[in-house]
Amino acid sequence: MSASFDIAASAKSGETFVLNLGPQHPAAHGVLRVKMTMDGEYVMRSEPVIGYIHRMHEKMGENRSLAKFLPNTGRIDYLSALHYNHAFVGAVERAARIEVPPRAEFIRVITSELNRISSHLVWWGAFLLDLGGFTPLLYAFDDREKILDLLEGVTGSRLTYCYFRFGGVRDDLDEGFVERTRAFIAQMRPRLKMYRQLVTDNIILRKRLENIGPISPELCRRYGATGPVIRGSGVPYDVRKIEPYSVYSQLDFEVPVYPEGDCMGRYRVRMDEIAQSLRIIEQALDKLPDGPTLGKVPRVLKLPVGDVCYAVEAARGRLMVRIVSDGKEAAYRLKLRTPSFSNMSLFEEASRGMLLADALALMGSLDLVIPDIDR
Amino acid sequence: METPVDTSQIVKFAKLDELLSLSRANSLWPLTFGLACCAIEMMAAGGPRFDISRFGAEVFRPSPRQADVMIVAGTINKKMAMAVKTLYDQMLEPKWVIAMGNCAISGGPFVFPGQYAVIEGVDKLFPVDVFIPGCPPRPEALIEGILTLEEKLTGKRRWPVVKPE
Amino acid sequence: MPTTLEQIKEHFSGTGCALSCAPADRAVKGYDLDVSANAGDVVSAAEYLGGIGFALDTITGVDWILQNEMEVVYDYFHPASPLRIVVRTRVPRANPEVPTVSGVFPGANWHERETHDFFGIRFAGHPNLIPLLLPEDADYHPLRKDFNA
Repeated sequence: MSASFDIAASAKSGETFVLNLGPQHPAAHGVLRVKMTMDGEYVMRSEPVIGYIHRMHEKMGENRSLAKFLPNTGRIDYLSALHYNHAFVGAVERAARIEVPPRAEFIRVITSELNRISSHLVWWGAFLLDLGGFTPLLYAFDDREKILDLLEGVTGSRLTYCYFRFGGVRDDLDEGFVERTRAFIAQMRPRLKMYRQLVTDNIILRKRLENIGPISPELCRRYGATGPVIRGSGVPYDVRKIEPYSVYSQLDFEVPVYPEGDCMGRYRVRMDEIAQSLRIIEQALDKLPDGPTLGKVPRVLKLPVGDVCYAVEAARGRLMVRIVSDGKEAAYRLKLRTPSFSNMSLFEEASRGMLLADALALMGSLDLVIPDIDR
Repeated sequence: METPVDTSQIVKFAKLDELLSLSRANSLWPLTFGLACCAIEMMAAGGPRFDISRFGAEVFRPSPRQADVMIVAGTINKKMAMAVKTLYDQMLEPKWVIAMGNCAISGGPFVFPGQYAVIEGVDKLFPVDVFIPGCPPRPEALIEGILTLEEKLTGKRRWPVVKPE
Repeated sequence: MPTTLEQIKEHFSGTGCALSCAPADRAVKGYDLDVSANAGDVVSAAEYLGGIGFALDTITGVDWILQNEMEVVYDYFHPASPLRIVVRTRVPRANPEVPTVSGVFPGANWHERETHDFFGIRFAGHPNLIPLLLPEDADYHPLRKDFNA
């Protein structure tokens, strides 16, 4: 679709109307509002309106000392909160040159990958709920509860984790965590097989998703879309491989890439990522060294003057934290580059001319968490 | 000869109010109004492990015209406040509001001097019946909140209290 | 990988569109090249980087109230290489205006709206500079250092 799109002239019925989707709607993304100019059932133009859950995390970053900002990181994207913990503590550790002991790095990787699986499971259940199937949501939440039990034993919370600290993690793994995690991996793999037979190979799902919502790699690049969106379009961009951080370079895993660029490609990328995360967790458990879980951190932490950035691969894409510091205890400017913001910005161009149901399938396949967009 | 029939076995009398409040309490239909993190705990409460449908509240209705209870789960923003108020006005009487989570009670962790976007508590917009603290509250806490609302409706607590061991 | 860091550094040092161009210590800073440009040159910098395959990561505004300036920082990442380039520019605080890069990177449309929301920096040529995160009728810029709610 070309950039100059004459809406009224292209409307087949000759007239258009504006349909307001949200900010409260059952497609369980959160508070997103999309003003769609419709020609019958076809979306001529969609204009997302955001800001309904803008909670000023960036302003709070300036008002709170660095340690006091840690609970905020769990609430930006609550489904993959540990990745956001990781980006923030990583940025501070990079600037202040704090060493992280290897045991803490491996614990970070294990808990982050468990978080990634639980985030993808919620996406899977909610996406299928959007498309009209209620059952997978129950299966997904069942598996997710097992992950939440594991993480609750380690971190103390179910959802908005605040577990990482500057220099390591708050507490060591609890008794029996390694055995319970291995048991979980053993029972999750047959479940993935069941999901594939029940849902992924289902003819109805394939008709709903194949060739729907094509996104080219060039479109991704021009909007800065990352994560499963760009990997579902054939570009093998994963921050864990391209800009390795923590101990990911010591672990052997693949980055699933599908060249089709449609909703089915993005769907398959995420399902394969769950399997790859299980692989990463197994290897990290095998390689888990002994030792302390918290490095040396000065009592009052102040960053050197200047800026620093740190990027991680969150469940939704590339997450980058940029801290500008003037030597005081709080950051001078804290910038959060969140993946859903860039992923959502391409919705306007990608959804032109689609049927409304297909546009919603496209929106679901982008895996949006609205507080991630609004921060 | 007519045998006297003891009707007390087959016919019960009760006040209409009590019957109505019992049936309302048994089938509270929540409005799907998840705003932020607490919404996921609300979804988990509807999931298989915690299972709100034991208490009749599983049927989340997207339309405010069909819902009894608005579970405000998440932070209310100044930009969102009008939409929330409109939804509340669109709900039909009798209606109740549960404020779930610290953000809905008092602004939560987002209150600091100089904050410009958050409304400090949903009870600044309309009356709230039950407050459930937590950030986010566990799904069991949400179920306890619904049971407290049922107690408010019927006048007595209908389910046993689980004592911590 | 098509273009190396040396070639990018040569371009920016050579063509004169940058005031200064210095490699940065990746392990400490998180990026490889720090380019300072005039406000008028950010578009040509974006066109060059877009031409060699970079994508726009984010646009950050910083309010340097004590120096009476505002800074706009453009972060770029590449989908196929680990290179990270930062382009920054400074504008006077009383009248902050920078040309838009949304012609090169449509994703900048939202980033620039957000920076305008928070700081009041105008992006000349932007098709739709209305509030993105703040309410539609907002006339305040909350991340300015002299903002009082």
